[in-house]
Amino acid sequence: MKQNYDFDIEKIKNLSQEEKISRKKNLDLFYEYGFPTKQVEDWKFTDLNLILNKNFDNISNEVNFESSKEFKAIENFEHNFIFLTNGKIISTNFDHEEKSKILIKDFNQKEEVMNIDSNNALVLLNSALSFGGFSLEITKDYKLKKPLIVYNCFSQDLKNKILNNKNSIKLNEGSELTLIDYSDNNSQSNFIKNTVDTVSLDKNAVMKNILIQNSKNNGHFYKNIKGSLEGGSSYENYILSSGLKLNKIEIEINLNKDNSSCSIYSALNLLEDQHQEIKTRINHNSPNCKSYQKIKNVLNDKSKGIYQGKIFVEKIAQKTDAYQLSKALIVNDDAEFDAKPELEIYADDVKCSHGSTSGSIDSDAVHYLMTRGIPENEAIKLLINGFLNEVLENITNSKLKFFLEKILERQINGH
Amino acid sequence: MLKIKNLKATINEKLILKGLDLDIKPGEVHAIMGPNGSGKSTLANVLSGKNGYEIEGEISFNGTDLNDLKIEERAQKGIFLAFQYPLEIPGVNTNNFLRTSLNSVRKARGEKELDTLTFLKLIKEKAKELNIDEKFLSRQLNVGFSGGEKKKNEILQMKLLEPKLSILDETDSGLDIDALRIVADGVNSYKNKKNAFLIITHYQRLLDYIKPDFIHVLSAGKIIKTGNADLGEQLEKTGYANLS
Repeated sequence: MKQNYDFDIEKIKNLSQEEKISRKKNLDLFYEYGFPTKQVEDWKFTDLNLILNKNFDNISNEVNFESSKEFKAIENFEHNFIFLTNGKIISTNFDHEEKSKILIKDFNQKEEVMNIDSNNALVLLNSALSFGGFSLEITKDYKLKKPLIVYNCFSQDLKNKILNNKNSIKLNEGSELTLIDYSDNNSQSNFIKNTVDTVSLDKNAVMKNILIQNSKNNGHFYKNIKGSLEGGSSYENYILSSGLKLNKIEIEINLNKDNSSCSIYSALNLLEDQHQEIKTRINHNSPNCKSYQKIKNVLNDKSKGIYQGKIFVEKIAQKTDAYQLSKALIVNDDAEFDAKPELEIYADDVKCSHGSTSGSIDSDAVHYLMTRGIPENEAIKLLINGFLNEVLENITNSKLKFFLEKILERQINGH
Repeated sequence: MLKIKNLKATINEKLILKGLDLDIKPGEVHAIMGPNGSGKSTLANVLSGKNGYEIEGEISFNGTDLNDLKIEERAQKGIFLAFQYPLEIPGVNTNNFLRTSLNSVRKARGEKELDTLTFLKLIKEKAKELNIDEKFLSRQLNVGFSGGEKKKNEILQMKLLEPKLSILDETDSGLDIDALRIVADGVNSYKNKKNAFLIITHYQRLLDYIKPDFIHVLSAGKIIKTGNADLGEQLEKTGYANLS
């Protein structure tokens, strides 16, 4: 299978000899594993190797980073932005903020790529081939006034390409950030994006991380978010990224110090043959931490949704409060949803609960709405919206909420 | 307006309506009374287009064969059913539902759809007439509403959609005397020469407030007696048993 892949470290510009050696090690390790098949437990519901074989003749990492400097910013929603093409920074704008409080630069490949500490084939591949990416740091006690949108745009020449990017986000003590990861993918070509995000929250820092997919397209995306939280910090993730042919989002959050908390929400409306997996692992490494997960999926047509969620509670992590709920609404008989909730608990004074349900559209409710003149497909959309919008109820900023409600509506209307 | 001839309806291989005739003209209020299991709610369901019934016979509404119309088209053409048990629909905001409903109907009638602001102004007025607290409108549809609030919400929808024929299925059940009066006032204020009502009820109670022109007694799937408003009072005294 190796011969199908045209991965070449030499195609990455400006690498030192030392970096090349380190990357080569990662690449060799990747080759040992290959793209994961369903035999790999973490990938049992997403046979990536099979999917890629079906959809790609060959895969190359030779990507052109020279690209247009134009993109369409979202209107009627005040925000800062980082504009990326194929994962590389083209421009940034923090006009709403005190600029000295925000450090933004290209991701430092030299420092970060060296470490080989993963048995995740995609992370290894990312470390071997990573290019572009950004590093963002917010200084102590600075709370961004407006959300930051990271526009992920793509060039048109990505057929059979793989993009590997690493990003790092660091919030210093007491700082606050809402980061909207906004994929604006107009590229009709079939390509793979493999992204590794590292999130580090210092004491009492607060971050909202929102994942949005602007359009329906053929992208095959994998995103790995790894977060470390210090005392009193809080991380919230909202996954609203329906629309990709394949999307797997893997989130690992380490609650390292007391009173840190994380929440993961998803509201996905999958259509056609879209395949989307959310895999989470919450490590309660310290006492008095909280985690909350509410995963909502709507499966239409022949789509497939997956949720694998694990809560891990260390022996020392007493008074853990962990909650996990997955709810699926299956609209068509051909659609599929798989859930694998797991609890692994070594402390004895904890509150952990989990649940998983799946059901179909309530036909009496559809009838009721239709008797009020609403056509069947509109009635179903209303019910789907009713099912999904619940995950936005904790967002207190009304402008952000309104923006996300519109995004959700667009997803429900199939973009 | 509504002409029913020899209507038979079967569900799960059980014949419920066994040849029903009914003729409702604009400006008229008809009441259908009858014991449990006589087919009253089946008639309401069949008129609203609920799935699962096998229908024989003729139902025409302003010259259109009702059997040819989808559920939502019936509503768009002016048939409204106030449910006996209005559904609770979690997650769906009442205002949003009402606006979608009104705009679907307006669109089908070739009228301009209302924008959010115009709609909100309209709905607030209508809600006030029925003594409905505005707060209910921003809540999830019927979720946690009391029986009376649900029924008032049905009448609110009726007044919003301005149907030609309103079918009230046991609208009086679960209402206290104050709510009953508000609902009845709501109906009476909407009544005019162009629209008509079909009121399905067990009891005379609602008919004390909404005066019917005709009362029909439904028993075992057929109308066995038709009379004027006095028939209701008579039934209240003698019960249905003596009629059959």
